[in-house]
Parts: sequence; structure tokens; C-alpha cells
Amino acid sequence: MRRKRFVFLLLLLALLLTACGGKKGGLRVEGAWGRPSPKMAMAGAFYMTIYNDGAQDDRLISAASPACGTVELHESYMTPEGAMGMRPVAGGIPVPAKGKAELKVGGLHIMCIDVKEGFEVGKKVPLTLHFEKGGDLSVEVEIRQEAP
Amino acid sequence: MKNWWKAFLGAFILIGLIAWGWWRFAPYSFHGMVMQSPEPAPDFTLLSKDGPVSLSDFRGKYVLLYFGYTFCPDVCPATLANLAQALHQIGRGAERVQVIMVSVDPERDTPEKIGEYVAHFDSSFIGLSGDPKDIARIASLYGIFYEKEEVAGAAGYLVTHTASVRVIDPEGRLKLIWPFGATPDEIAQDLKFLLRR
Repeated sequence: MRRKRFVFLLLLLALLLTACGGKKGGLRVEGAWGRPSPKMAMAGAFYMTIYNDGAQDDRLISAASPACGTVELHESYMTPEGAMGMRPVAGGIPVPAKGKAELKVGGLHIMCIDVKEGFEVGKKVPLTLHFEKGGDLSVEVEIRQEAP
Repeated sequence: MKNWWKAFLGAFILIGLIAWGWWRFAPYSFHGMVMQSPEPAPDFTLLSKDGPVSLSDFRGKYVLLYFGYTFCPDVCPATLANLAQALHQIGRGAERVQVIMVSVDPERDTPEKIGEYVAHFDSSFIGLSGDPKDIARIASLYGIFYEKEEVAGAAGYLVTHTASVRVIDPEGRLKLIWPFGATPDEIAQDLKFLLRR
């Protein structure tokens, strides 16, 4: 009897954990992080890998966070002359079915404009991702010195 | 019996000498572009949050010169964080290294703002801004390209810019250029090599 109850509790715990793990439909996010930035910094960047386990292509169209005045999707790129530029991503970031989108340093990133309070190491910044088909997915962005 | 001991000691000293010679004189390949005949780096004076600062103030130190702007969430923080981490790795040697960031967005970056921004990565870092005309002149002397790009959205405009780091030696000569993406380990290795000369 005891054992059954233990197994039941374990199952319940597993269910709760999957429910909290930044997962929605076929979409899940891993390794969401951002660098610490001072309160006076106008902008900070968030990085993560978005997995689409579903059978349907999807697209990250926008994001929002109470910690940022505005959130935009941006991309760093190298010009043919070797300079680094940045531009807003037109039309969102595609997340192919059974595939992933990688947001990383020097490439695609989520730009937090007008950082409302400083981001110190260890802080978890709430971020809601809006997908074209998958709807909203809430994640926590961990503030740390380097990529996890 | 005594001769054996002497031979052992001799071999030990010989191996030590070879190891030292290798450590001291072995060819080293840098992780950036090395200037084969380093030219004097053009001197300049710009404004820090504590007043005017000239490049020549740092003779005797290696200066790591970077051009960027504070409204730059990806490339600039990545570079400054890598430099900070490399300095941390080289320990006491960091006392002989000065990181200087010059703003390519002087209209938005006041000396106070860029000073506070760089200090966030390492309290020893110096941020400089000033007259846009002076900055344009200095950037071109260093082969730095930058250009404002108007973008839709809250950013207003972004600045496309050369994101490599220039290393100026203690005699004030341009010695080495690290490309964007040089890792903290690579930067620390190069600095350790330079600092033991």
C-alpha cells in the first residue's frame, strides 16, 4: 500500500515537473540565459534553444517581459567587409517541425530594450514567447556570465 | 656511487634548461592577426567619466582597444565579457593590461554613460566618448568602420561597426588584432605570452 502511494507521488511529481519546464504543445525551450546588465544599459540580449517536437512548422513572432520596456527579435550579422551589424528579424524566427532554432551570441537573439531593473547574476527574468501556431510559452531567463 | 649521483643531477639540470628554453623561445602562434612590423598606434585624447584620457597615458601597459556602443546587447557585451574573463584568468598580469572602449555612438553615449557601462564588466575598464568628429577621425586612423543604420522599432538606430579588438604594446605600437569571437582562453593565452616577454 505504502509503495503504491510512493509511486503515485512520484508520478504526480513528474507530471508537475514537465508542466513547469517551459514546455507547450510540441515546443520547449532549453538553456535560456542572458548576461548581467546594469540598470542604465539600454539593452540586453537573451539566448536559448527552442525545440519543436511537433509535426508542424512554427515561428517565434514576438516576446514580452515585465522586466523590459520593449522586447524585439534581432539578429547580429557580419557585413562582407567584416564589420558586425544588427537588424530586427523580419517575420519572426522559424522553428521547423522536429527541429530547433538556436538563439546565440553573435547570431539570433531576443533584445530587451529599456532594461527596467538591473540584471544581476542568478536573477531569473520572466519572458513570454509568442508563437504563430503554438501560442504563448513562458520561460525563465537565467542571468549568468556565460552560456550554460 | 658518487658519480652516479652527479650524472643524475647533470641530467636533471639539462632537462630543466631545455624545458626553460622551450618555454621561453618556442614559436608561438597568436589567436589573432599579428603585425609583423608593428607601427606606432596613433595617439588620441577623448573624454572618460573622470576627464580627458590619452592613449599615451598607458605607455608601459598593453592596451586592448575596442570600438563599440552601449545600445548593443549582443556583440559588445560578449566582447567585453570575454576580455574581463581573460583578465581574470591571467591574474596579476592583468595589472599590466588596460581595456579601453571608445564609443562609436557619441550622440547617445556620454562619457559618464559609457564609463558606467564598461565598469559593469570590470571596474578597471575605461570607456571613452567625445566629439563625433574626433571619434570619426580616430576610428579611421585605426581602420575601424562604423555606420548608423535606421531600424524600425524601439531601438531607433543601431550602429554597424568593426568589432575586432586592437592590442597596443607597452611601447605604443599596434601589435595584434583579435577578431570578434576570440574566446577568453585564446585572449588569455596571447596575453600570457606577451606579458612574459
